[in-house]
Amino acid sequence: MRRLPVALMLCGVIGSAADREFRDVVDSISNRVHARPLHIPMFGLVNFVAAVARPAGTKHIDLAVWEDLDWRSGDTRDMAESIRASVGGSWKPFVHSRSAQEVVSIYARPEGSDWRLLVVSVERHEATVVQLQLNPDALQRWITLPREYAFGHRRVKSTTRDLDP
Amino acid sequence: MKKIIIACLALLPLAAQEIKLPPNLEKLADKAREVVDVTMDGPLLQLAARFLSDRDPDEARVKKLVAGLKSIYVRSFEFESRGEYQESDLDALRNQLKSPGWSRIVGVKSKKDGENAEVYLKSENGGITGLAVIAAEPKELTVVNIVGSIQPEDLRDLGGRFGIPKVDLGKKEKKEDE
Repeated sequence: MRRLPVALMLCGVIGSAADREFRDVVDSISNRVHARPLHIPMFGLVNFVAAVARPAGTKHIDLAVWEDLDWRSGDTRDMAESIRASVGGSWKPFVHSRSAQEVVSIYARPEGSDWRLLVVSVERHEATVVQLQLNPDALQRWITLPREYAFGHRRVKSTTRDLDP
Repeated sequence: MKKIIIACLALLPLAAQEIKLPPNLEKLADKAREVVDVTMDGPLLQLAARFLSDRDPDEARVKKLVAGLKSIYVRSFEFESRGEYQESDLDALRNQLKSPGWSRIVGVKSKKDGENAEVYLKSENGGITGLAVIAAEPKELTVVNIVGSIQPEDLRDLGGRFGIPKVDLGKKEKKEDE
């Protein structure tokens, strides 16, 4: 019986650590692009839907989106390094892609029977940070075709927007 | 202290199988139109194996060989035009693969389309413990390092999965000019 409160406390600690790391990445990008992410109204409802319906094996989503950026000052190498530095050590690097116009970084880490994926994409005019809690089936799709999923990351964003009332 | 030393010694063989990209190759990232890194180790690799079917003969084969792997690392550079990297850029990496235990088993040079591929094996105590591939095309360069128990022919099954490019060694062996 004592285990339940301990497990709940641990879940809380893990959850808050993940939230803090997500915020760290968001802050790091905000500082570099000199802009704050957009406010997404009623995003809590998206997570309610995710928790109940689990679309594509996703149980929880954290999302930060920047639009209409005019980020030309820094190069993508600096941005990639900055993202790497702000992501906590508990995340495993999975896929990194960098071109002159775009940086995409994907990190993964196990969390109980699920996995968390942190997908960071920064382009000259827009940026997205998505943290997903996925069941192993969903993660498997990312593993078998990591490059294809990395470049298809915008689908995550558009799916989330479809859910946004 | 003793435990730390033992732990470090235990990790040494694993570290020795992994290749480190030399600084000059890292610098190519600045010239490349796109650089992609795929890193799969430990739990991610185990998870990948778990989801491969035992019923499908191809997947069953991949599942069996992934079970023997410790990590897969792929780094790929894509360039805008030909000639943005030189053969000599790969020398430091090749020198690393000349260290004890490593041996080159395939070297393919195609003068017609400029596609070159080299496969290196790391042997230890009579078994293969690692594999490295350098696949060089005029506008694309890919380095693959697989750590674990693997055979060269397994590359055919792994190609197209986990970020590993398809390496058709069977067809190109005829062109080999080594």
